[in-house]
Amino acid sequence: MTREYAKDFTTKELIATFIARQVRDGERVAVGAGLHVPRAGILLAHLLYCPNVRLYVVMTFTNLLKEPKMEPFYTVTDFRPAKWAEAYVLHDDFQENPRLVSNLFVVGALQIDPYGNSNLIGVGEDYRHLTFRGPGAVGTTSMAHYVDRYYLYVQSHDRRIFVEKCDFISTVGWGEGGPDGRRRLGLPDNGPIYCITPLCIMDFEPQTKRMRLASVHPGVTVDDVVRNTGFELIIPDVVPETEPPTVEELQVLRQRIDVEGMLRI
Amino acid sequence: MVLERKSLVIDERDAASWIRDGMTIAIGGFINSSHPMAIVRQIIRRGVKGLTVVGPASGGLDLDLLIGAGCVRKLVTAYMGGEHYCPVAPMFRAAVERGELEVWECDEGMYYCALRAAAQGLPFTPWKAGIGTSFPEINPDIKVFNDPITGEPLLAIPAIKPDIAIIYAAHADPYGNVQHIGTGFGDRALWRAADRTIVQVERIIPNEEVRKNPLATSLYGVDAIVRAPYGSHPFAAPGYYIEDAEHLREYVAAATTYAKYGDRGPFEAYLRKYVLEPETHADYLQVIGIKRLIALHEY
Repeated sequence: MTREYAKDFTTKELIATFIARQVRDGERVAVGAGLHVPRAGILLAHLLYCPNVRLYVVMTFTNLLKEPKMEPFYTVTDFRPAKWAEAYVLHDDFQENPRLVSNLFVVGALQIDPYGNSNLIGVGEDYRHLTFRGPGAVGTTSMAHYVDRYYLYVQSHDRRIFVEKCDFISTVGWGEGGPDGRRRLGLPDNGPIYCITPLCIMDFEPQTKRMRLASVHPGVTVDDVVRNTGFELIIPDVVPETEPPTVEELQVLRQRIDVEGMLRI
Repeated sequence: MVLERKSLVIDERDAASWIRDGMTIAIGGFINSSHPMAIVRQIIRRGVKGLTVVGPASGGLDLDLLIGAGCVRKLVTAYMGGEHYCPVAPMFRAAVERGELEVWECDEGMYYCALRAAAQGLPFTPWKAGIGTSFPEINPDIKVFNDPITGEPLLAIPAIKPDIAIIYAAHADPYGNVQHIGTGFGDRALWRAADRTIVQVERIIPNEEVRKNPLATSLYGVDAIVRAPYGSHPFAAPGYYIEDAEHLREYVAAATTYAKYGDRGPFEAYLRKYVLEPETHADYLQVIGIKRLIALHEY
């Protein structure tokens, strides 16, 4: 069966579709509240491909397969989705076993280095005199450690974010690189899988664990990515375009998930 | 002699008088929900200084207000912001960048480790996540050590013991049996770790209500109950009201004027209007107004 691809879609819808393809049926998946695009992607996976996914939605667990459409919620403390709850999640339980909350996680960042180490703490050479104080690590350090798969996701792609060296590391990626970059630190091999940006998808080359361009979004050139990345990316001979949403994916996304059109602005 | 069970109900002024300069206090809730704001505002009115504030695992603008009002010396939390209202809490950002606030840098997992160690009377909780990060450098209280069993490196997250936890919940009886609506976020971890706990509630319910469903009791044996309807305003109260978006935007605009342009005027005006001039929680509700408050029930 050939897939019928949509022709008219936004970059956010494209990324949501990419994220949807990372989810596996039956696993536990945390649905963030603030990041609209990953949230839409996970819900898309659930409605189309993963009927048995266990969704962690704003401190509850649920299954939304039979919901005709998602009502919007904007914060992790919005209690309105609790009407769907099959279980409450006590937030302190998260430390008891983070894997009960999610098998995959999306990590945001102020800075990301070539090995996928990332920083949410702040920008500046001296921790006591930061030039920009960030929001803090939230739960990213621990969740990225305990989940099977984690993804880096940023909402802009420029040389301030993609830097040779992070000022501080709040979530470890592939350490200093190499095939055993994490094992040398005494860590399991579950470093970041992809780094997802508004320009492209990047993965990590297996031998060096350096970031490598995997695909560019429609209308973006390899040169656009290189110019906006503050370190040397591995560029394969052939760089494909990111796989677009199918007609069906886009329809479900617009009619049942992103009803308000947050992904279209 | 007839013995009587003692009511633990006090008002927000009594509660705030428990908090003294330099104490370590924990404040419950989570980012935009469930903060004991009647007590928080009274702490500011009393001009308490030098607090170590253990926020929720992820802190919100309630802590930002305390920082802006000059009550906080050191902050323990893994996030400071207001989600879509503001990516980084403005007074927090300004205080850190100006070197006026010490942050006990951690992530949410490490934060619960510190509370758990305190609850169990242990010097630290071992934690694996964070190896290979900057946390042991920027938070010198966190040490790297080798696990005596496997020899692998681990982090030792030291205990942080709050003198007093101040928690918001929906209901309590007069004897310290507390019911949350919804999950209660990480409030149980604060209660387990703290020496004493004060719970501010929307309603005080009869003991008979508690006995109908003891499974609903989320915290028991707390030390004091404060009744303050709409007491989480401008933040949400699960089952009662959503957050006051307009008020939060007003706060963020005032605080951001200081964080970005160094002008404290709008923040000081906010502080006067909503915190310093209303003498009690009831006076605060008068300033907010009944129309605004009841509109928050419609969601």
